Amino acid sequence: MMTSRGVLSPGVIKELQAIVGEENATDDVAICASYSRDQHWHFVPPRNPACVVRPASKEEVRAVLMLANKEKIPVVPYSTGINVRGLAIPVHDGSILLDLGRMNRILEINPEMKTATVEPGVTFGMLLEQTRKYKLRPAFPDAPLTVSVLVNYYLRGIYQTAAADGHDHTISYEMVLPNGETLRTGSRALSSMPYFRYGVGPDFAGLLSAHPGTCGVVTELTAKLYRLYDHRQEYFIGFESVKDSTRLIYNLMHDELATSIRLVDNQSWLRGICGTFDYPYEELPKFVLCVLVEGLPGLFEAKDKLVRAHIEESGGRVLELPEAFKRRFEEESLGGAELSCMVFHLRGNYHCIGLYGPLTLAARYYELHEHTALEVGIPGDHVYFYLDPIYNFHGQLCYVELDIFYDGSDPRFGEKLREYNRRQFHRLLDAGIYGWFRPYAGIIEPTTERIGYLAEVWKKFLRIVDPNGIMNPGKLF
Amino acid sequence: MKREEILSAIYHCVKCKLCSIVSFHPNEEWLPLCPSGQFYGYQAFYAPGKMEIFREILEGEISEPSEGLLKAVYACTLCGACYEKCKQVSSVEIRLPELFEEMRHELAVKGWALDAHRGIVEKIRETRNAYGERYEYKYRYRYKRGDREGAESPGGDADADVLYYIGCTARYRVPEIADAMLSILNKLGIRYQLMEDEWCCGSVLLRTGQVEAAKELMEHNVEEIRRSGAKRIVFTCPGCLKTFRQNYPDMGVELLHSTEFLARMHIKVDDKLDINVAYHDPCHLGRDLGIYEEPRSLLAEVAHIKQMKREREQAWCCGSGGGVKSAYDDFALWCATERLAEAREAGAEALVSACPFCKRNLREAAEIEGKGAGLGVYDIVELVNRCLKEGGARR
Ligand SMILES: Cc1cc2nc3c(=O)[nH]c(=O)nc-3n(C[C@H](O)[C@H](O)[C@H](O)COP(=O)(O)OP(=O)(O)OC[C@H]3O[C@@H](n4cnc5c(N)ncnc54)[C@H](O)[C@@H]3O)c2cc1C
Ligand code: SF4
Ligand code: SF4
Repeated sequence: MMTSRGVLSPGVIKELQAIVGEENATDDVAICASYSRDQHWHFVPPRNPACVVRPASKEEVRAVLMLANKEKIPVVPYSTGINVRGLAIPVHDGSILLDLGRMNRILEINPEMKTATVEPGVTFGMLLEQTRKYKLRPAFPDAPLTVSVLVNYYLRGIYQTAAADGHDHTISYEMVLPNGETLRTGSRALSSMPYFRYGVGPDFAGLLSAHPGTCGVVTELTAKLYRLYDHRQEYFIGFESVKDSTRLIYNLMHDELATSIRLVDNQSWLRGICGTFDYPYEELPKFVLCVLVEGLPGLFEAKDKLVRAHIEESGGRVLELPEAFKRRFEEESLGGAELSCMVFHLRGNYHCIGLYGPLTLAARYYELHEHTALEVGIPGDHVYFYLDPIYNFHGQLCYVELDIFYDGSDPRFGEKLREYNRRQFHRLLDAGIYGWFRPYAGIIEPTTERIGYLAEVWKKFLRIVDPNGIMNPGKLF
Repeated sequence: MKREEILSAIYHCVKCKLCSIVSFHPNEEWLPLCPSGQFYGYQAFYAPGKMEIFREILEGEISEPSEGLLKAVYACTLCGACYEKCKQVSSVEIRLPELFEEMRHELAVKGWALDAHRGIVEKIRETRNAYGERYEYKYRYRYKRGDREGAESPGGDADADVLYYIGCTARYRVPEIADAMLSILNKLGIRYQLMEDEWCCGSVLLRTGQVEAAKELMEHNVEEIRRSGAKRIVFTCPGCLKTFRQNYPDMGVELLHSTEFLARMHIKVDDKLDINVAYHDPCHLGRDLGIYEEPRSLLAEVAHIKQMKREREQAWCCGSGGGVKSAYDDFALWCATERLAEAREAGAEALVSACPFCKRNLREAAEIEGKGAGLGVYDIVELVNRCLKEGGARR
């Protein structure tokens, strides 16, 4: 595996050092090498940036972007680098990697407004540590709590740990563009109150978001916070097929009763949710629906009663798992994912296609997953599944994850996965999906073929905000 | 280690960076765990970044010892905290400190060792200790003349079963630890011997990748120990103990840390010290050798223990291991200052360790902070010695 890099002129390095301080900009080969590869390397080959720059403020970000824009140097924003899709690995030699980790201030927690405003380096763990003092929490992805809150929301993640939180947690943000201009979205554009998503005209926050660093650099973002309740109850309900579980999922979602509703197979994510490998999971039904109910006293008991009634009529088997499992499920759902990442233990590495679609197609997605995997020679015991319905469930919206845990040190397996993707992207698009988890190289090409003139508009839009194409070029188009 | 094994371990690092923080649940506090990443900031200083550097070295893409390379590789205390966390969430098969030691070995083979570490080889070659001090003189002065507190020992009994291996740091930088240990042995009436000609155990050379240079030292010490006829060797230095346990051939003798040895004695003191102390787990003693309980039970016998937030497997490193103290003293002292602050926050008046490296670095940091800051730094054996009366009782 050879890693390209490219170099920048000593003059440019000097200028970058003048902006951020000598110790915060370097073209040292080894330092650059440390940013060269991520989990997705079978799809995005390793490449070293030509230099790494660590700004401490938005003024420094602006100065770096303006310099890069003038010199037409590619810039790869990087906040915590844990995106698992190669999104912060440079596509071009001679790139500046903009490591925003030093910008890690929580600028405001406003318990009255139920919001937090953060810089890119603030992680979910850092934020919860502070918000819980007000009995509030952020919406968590099932990603390690070491990831950037700002980027996760800006890229629009999946918040399956508490389905009740819904999908959109970004209220407004501030973005520095390559020409040095600052865009402020929502009410932030009009006042010092950044608390409303829709300020002037279109939903600019939406338009600019979910771009892998290809518009500009988000320097601060205001997000929603959610209540932490003391009253909680967990259930694990077993089903033998995805199809059997859908009635219960539908009922719980339709009546808006549970906070967390996750359908997982008994071999992968269930272990993560329970926080241990040490249990005979194979003796459990093949799929397990993990349900967490919470709420204010009175409301909680009423909801819980209704949940029990739905479970009873579902035909599922209520599983008596150890108390410690329930506690971990709670911690991982409402306090940020940490142990659930242990699913990597399964075989070392992880690949998934994440998509949005209706619950009605869930069983079909799983069928395709199994079929295509077997077709390309991926053994059945490497094939896993995860489904998470999303509030308020209009369109029976679900996030579906078609997972494969594998040993990445085997290059032949990498080839199988690439083939799996080539076939599966088209098949899923043919079967009908609402959208992908997030756009990234590989998935974007077969998609843009199908979206007509929208693809043209999208590309033109990017040219307006980044006319020299310096922002993470190659990550989308 | 085989190249394939190393690369496989590197490929199984998923870059989750959970190794950079103490377990978040159930206390939900964000506490850094990796000293070098926390201090230097670039990805290169965290375990996942170091692994990518190693990959590029193995794949021949890094072909020069740049300043950043040397710093990323050697400004790591090899504390192993990252691994304690990583093993919960990944299938990285190799203990990370061992992987990083292997990387240093790779660099040393290419001739890319640090000057500061090369200098240690020279010193050892000349004096047989890591500090370049004159061994015979210091040792005789301190213990044979009996002019220090608790130093009445005439150098031990040549045929005793117990041998106390002092180690370079306790002999030349923190002799109060050796003094205290000898004094305890005397007070307990335990017959012991010291090595006639104790050489450096080789730990510092192994940790800095200079494996070849350690071999002669090891051979000498093995020979000396065999000749002594000792059945049990007691160490106050966990680094020496780890090296003896993991790198030396089996000599058929029992190897014990001072705290293990003394815990077995069931020491009883009449008057506990009226002092609140925090216990700092030395990396080699805790994470490397799994010795967590004995120091605590011994310390609880002589002082009141206050708990710090980062302890045991997830203890914050004092900063002096892995050759960091000799090469990056500013970083080493920063780590120690962080630890002192944590002890203070726990309500401790003193920070107690069980390792001469820790004591030296922590004490230095405390001295820089100034006397006003008021935190004492001790090794457990010093406190035990203070409490133990002449002819001290065992339970
Ligand atoms: C085990 C595991 C499970 C995961 N599960 C989930 C999950 O359930 N839900 C979920 O949402 N995610 C999940 N993820 C993915 C990951 O957590 C998110 O993608 C993550 O939030 C983004 O990574 P990051 O925050 O480290 O950003 P980075 O990797 O730093 O950046 C990601 C992209 O955003 C760009 N970028 C970075 N900073 C900025 C900025 N300030 N302005 C503009 N662009 C920027 C980068 O150029 C890059 O293209 C999981 C990851 C792992 C390892
Ligand atoms: S915890 Fe392990 S797998 Fe995760 S980044 Fe650290 S070393 Fe890599
Ligand atoms: S061994 Fe210690 S200093 Fe080195 S990377 Fe791991 S945690 Fe950081």
